[in-house]
Amino acid sequence: MKLKLFSGSPPPLSTPLDVRNVMWLLAAMVFVVGPHLMRLPVWIGIFVVVVVGWRAWISWAALRSPPRWLMWAVTIASTYGTFLTYGRIFGREAGVTLLILMAALKLLEMRDQRDVVLSIYLGFFLVMTNFLFSQTIPLGLYMLACVWIFVATLVGFNRVGRSPTLRERLRPAGALLVQALPLMVAFFLLFPRTTGPLWALPQDSRSGQTGLSESMTPGNIANLIKSEAVAFRVQFTNGMPPYRSLYWRGPVLVDFDGATWSMAAFSAQGQRNYSRYERPSMYTVTLEPHNKTWMFALDVPATYPEGTQLLSDLQLRHRRPITERMRYEMMSFLNYRYGENTNPPQINRALRFDDTRNPRLVALGRQWAKENPDPRMLLQRAAQFFGTGFTYTLEPPPLDRTNPYDDFVFNSRQGFCEHFAGAFTLLMRAAGVPSRVVTGYQGGEVNPLNNELIVRQADAHAWSEIWVKEEGWVRIDPTAAVSPMRVENGVNAALGPIGVIPSLIDADRLGLLANMRFAWQMLNSQWDAWVVGYNMDRQRSFFSQLGFPNIDWRTLGFWLMIATFAVGAAVAIGLLVNDRPPKREASLVAWNRFCAKLAASGLARAPHEGPLDYLARVKAARPQLAAEVEEITRRYVQARYGEGASREDLRALARLVAGFRAT
Amino acid sequence: MLANLRQSISDWIFRATIPETPPVTLVQRRIFILPTRQGYVFAFTVLILLLSSINYALSLGFVLTFLLASMAGVAMLHTWRNLAHLRLRPGRCDPVFAGETAHFNVSVETPSQTRFSIALRRRGDEPVYADIVASEMASISLGVTATRRGVAQCGRLEVFTRYPLGFFHAWSYVDFGQTVLVYPRPDPLAGSPPAQSRSASEEGIPVPGDEEFNMLRAYRPGDTPKQIAWKALAREQGLLTKEFNATASSELWIDWDEARAPDLESRLSILCHWVLQAESFGQSYGLRLPGREIPPSRGDAHQTRCLEALALFEAPR
Repeated sequence: MKLKLFSGSPPPLSTPLDVRNVMWLLAAMVFVVGPHLMRLPVWIGIFVVVVVGWRAWISWAALRSPPRWLMWAVTIASTYGTFLTYGRIFGREAGVTLLILMAALKLLEMRDQRDVVLSIYLGFFLVMTNFLFSQTIPLGLYMLACVWIFVATLVGFNRVGRSPTLRERLRPAGALLVQALPLMVAFFLLFPRTTGPLWALPQDSRSGQTGLSESMTPGNIANLIKSEAVAFRVQFTNGMPPYRSLYWRGPVLVDFDGATWSMAAFSAQGQRNYSRYERPSMYTVTLEPHNKTWMFALDVPATYPEGTQLLSDLQLRHRRPITERMRYEMMSFLNYRYGENTNPPQINRALRFDDTRNPRLVALGRQWAKENPDPRMLLQRAAQFFGTGFTYTLEPPPLDRTNPYDDFVFNSRQGFCEHFAGAFTLLMRAAGVPSRVVTGYQGGEVNPLNNELIVRQADAHAWSEIWVKEEGWVRIDPTAAVSPMRVENGVNAALGPIGVIPSLIDADRLGLLANMRFAWQMLNSQWDAWVVGYNMDRQRSFFSQLGFPNIDWRTLGFWLMIATFAVGAAVAIGLLVNDRPPKREASLVAWNRFCAKLAASGLARAPHEGPLDYLARVKAARPQLAAEVEEITRRYVQARYGEGASREDLRALARLVAGFRAT
Repeated sequence: MLANLRQSISDWIFRATIPETPPVTLVQRRIFILPTRQGYVFAFTVLILLLSSINYALSLGFVLTFLLASMAGVAMLHTWRNLAHLRLRPGRCDPVFAGETAHFNVSVETPSQTRFSIALRRRGDEPVYADIVASEMASISLGVTATRRGVAQCGRLEVFTRYPLGFFHAWSYVDFGQTVLVYPRPDPLAGSPPAQSRSASEEGIPVPGDEEFNMLRAYRPGDTPKQIAWKALAREQGLLTKEFNATASSELWIDWDEARAPDLESRLSILCHWVLQAESFGQSYGLRLPGREIPPSRGDAHQTRCLEALALFEAPR
């Protein structure tokens, strides 16, 4: 057996921190703020790099920490810099910036173990702040790696004496994290979720929540159309309806001031006066959070989920702004007629416009109405009108501010859905036909792997509804007149090969690339459904699927406790099993028991006595036991000092000892 | 006051049977574990992470929070396991002179896996850390400045660890009743032993000693290697011992009454110095203390006997 000596006192606390440990911490910090630095102003990145470099230099060259007054000065300066950049020091971006700057400064003034530990805890906070901006799979994995590095750093700082190797840091940290996983999953599934925030969220707490807005001015939707972000996903339960009927209804815009269409300030809750309802379609929508109250459904909604209301213009609204992913089940009628007896104030509202603006278009409408006021005739003329000489493009030229629709219809003649919908609706109003603009999404993309329809922001659309006596509200999509492809096949088809959005290449729809893309999308969809979108509703439905309907926090807490004990016990047993003495000693256990039995009968083994000497003595004293004692001793000597023993041999030895009677 | 109270409460709670028979294995029920201050701060951190996750409905925030919380739980088991089943044995503790550093040695073994950052400390002292590698015996030496002559008690030892994350402090107490004999601090100003203390009696009569070569006799166990006739052994005459005669005139009595100093400890310091002097001169010397007399002799064993006598003379308890 080797002998190792340890003596003396540990280094007192005032000695500088171990250089390698500090480097680990700095690396972990840089990794964790990396994603932030890419989206925050450049000066923050430079600041962090300079401070980290300075700290590394201090450690490397064993310099003194910067003086206190300098630290104060830099702290105040960086706070002021944050304020100058954002105009405040709270809110998501400003808050995160401030946190990063303070974490960097903490690194700089880090003197002892306690400071180090605080820095590492700050690092965990920085991990959390990353999730405010993105919760994708890649970022999640990246942050897991960051946590691993932080834990490894903490392990390094808790090793006293020799600085541990890379393996000696990463392995224990990895083991801790891996063993923590089961409990983490249990907590994740079982921890009771709440609805709504505990305290007011800052306005900008959410990112990437692009979506439709309450109003529409020509030029608004273009930004949306270029965005590939997912708006919602749909799983149809009774087959997908044809593509051209996939009109996902969103905000309905009635009020018009000459340039901007906006939602009615107050809409009455609707009575569903459908006079025809056929072809029901059932589906589940997974809606991404967009901080607004509206939800999307196919025309026309038949049922609506709890906590929502249906307005008279068929808008589906949630009680609160939707700040987390939401799943809801819907049923819609695709073949319908509604609103024949809409009340006069609503009809009047749908006729109102400012006739001092867009005079030429208004004059055109009035002239058409004079020639033939029949809505059917008007529609036909409008279809002809928009069908010739207009181009569908996502990049129309800018329009005149006062009379944008005149400019569009009579000059540029280039635009996309909202131009066409806006111009058409105005034309109809001028001709005396009640009409309104409906915004929402049209179409989507089917993932062939799970038959899920993915509706992206790029699928945002605007169309019109006109009111006809005895027909009710009728959907008219003027864009279809210009670019039927847009409605039939989606925005990429409409744009043709030149206007294709780069990353959405439809060319190899069934190729390897497309398959990988779809697999990745499916994975993302599962991730979004089960991880990112795991909220109270999801938790409920998960447990009711498992056979626990109406689960409440008490039950959850109970199972949480069970899970904690079970996992804790499993880990503890695992550790103890690992801790067992090597196999060879099993023979020793049996031997000691054997000796104890003999000792109890008055024949104790002397400490210096070897097994064979003892055997001789026992044989002399108890001749009647000779055979048994000899067998046990032989087996023990072979197992312990001979060529070893198999598991069966050891078991046989244990059995012999168990059956042995010393008297 | 409060610290004293806490100390006595902890003494009462963690009272151990002393001294224990080695080896002591740190079985489950001997190990105590509590969160450290760092651990509490971590718990606070996790709490804030949890509140933020709830507030911002961040699913990955929940994942992070629960991962860290579970990790802390697992770390508790790891910390506990890091200490569990260690085997401790008391090591030899060599005597020292007052003012020197006494070392209490404890050897530690692990039954299976390497244990990192195991610390051992006496109450109020700085801990000594060691990594305990499987199939190696780690000897941890606790240095203590021996301030007072007499018997220095090691007292109860705390063996603890905070590895791997420092969130928990797992500890156990062992008390082997280890002691170190502390000799008086030699007084270098005491000079040589006074000449008049040489015994004038029995002059000229040879006494067995080791001054003058007398004869060769057969080796008896206990003879020092210095006395063995190596040349005779080389001539294959067997193991023989050279016998010397000591001259009675070179005999020296180190006497309590000769050391003049105001107090007991200073007196003992002087005597201690004389013993060391006499031994280094190779003289045969005896020690005379009130109520105790050690006959003249020489050699390490004799010196140790004399120093022990000095160390324990009316030893402060």
